[in-house]
Amino acid sequence: MATINATINVASADLTSSPLALSNTMIMTKAGTNTGLEFTSGLVRRKLTATTAIDLVTVGAQMYGTPTASVANKIYIKNTGSSSVDYIDVAIGDKDADAGEELLATGGNSKITLGKLFGGDWMLIPFEGSANNDIIVVPSTAEATTIEWMLFFE
Amino acid sequence: MATTTNSLTLTSTDLFDDSLSISNTSTCYKAGTTIGLDQTTGLTRTYLTATTVIDLFPVVKGTTNAVENGKVYIANLSEDETEFVTINIGDAVIGRLYAGDFMWMPWSPRAQHVNDIELAPSVATGMHVEFMAIHNFANIYPTGVDS
Repeated sequence: MATINATINVASADLTSSPLALSNTMIMTKAGTNTGLEFTSGLVRRKLTATTAIDLVTVGAQMYGTPTASVANKIYIKNTGSSSVDYIDVAIGDKDADAGEELLATGGNSKITLGKLFGGDWMLIPFEGSANNDIIVVPSTAEATTIEWMLFFE
Repeated sequence: MATTTNSLTLTSTDLFDDSLSISNTSTCYKAGTTIGLDQTTGLTRTYLTATTVIDLFPVVKGTTNAVENGKVYIANLSEDETEFVTINIGDAVIGRLYAGDFMWMPWSPRAQHVNDIELAPSVATGMHVEFMAIHNFANIYPTGVDS
């Protein structure tokens, strides 16, 4: 087992009339236990030069192992750029999905978009890893966009 | 405008043979600008006593915020390591947050129901969760019956 700590801080002096200061730390553990997650994809860095949708993280067997579905996996993604205009859309589903936003089927090519990561933005979410739950990214520009991601799994 | 910063540190001394240390800080901007997001649901803390799916952040019919750049924070405050909440966006499962886990993600809701952020506790014995959206959407409201 390993001990992996993640700490988030969200702060603002003027978003509301009273200051916001949120801080939270989690230790990434295996589902239903106090045992730490012990596997990772490593920190992956990719440069994207087209606006084509890609499967950033696919489910099932990978070169770094086979993440178990429906447990306590986590995924971190960052747009390493600095642009406030260019972004990547992050979605769940299949890269070959129709352009339209669809309810995810148990099979077939559909996707649902979570949101956008502009330059410098990051996200940390659980990773379901079941069928048709690939993590997809779609750059907004064909200019080089470099993203980093890392999966922590069991 | 407001200035809201968000930061993440990921550390481990024993996941690898070498140490892991990732640190990021960014500012919550409106899409395509360097103008800060200026609305929030506030940090909501609630106690859930059923395994029913609820909409934390439903998308209001008629509003389209697909081009926007909201942020969502959700935390499972349970101290029982066997308890979790399942987070969905519409019918797509994002994943599980076990006791003590949190998540932070962008949210650009495109359509009613399809892009609702939903949560389902694993037990009906009572679980505290916290959640907050920071956004500039035309309209959202927290907490409701699953739709």
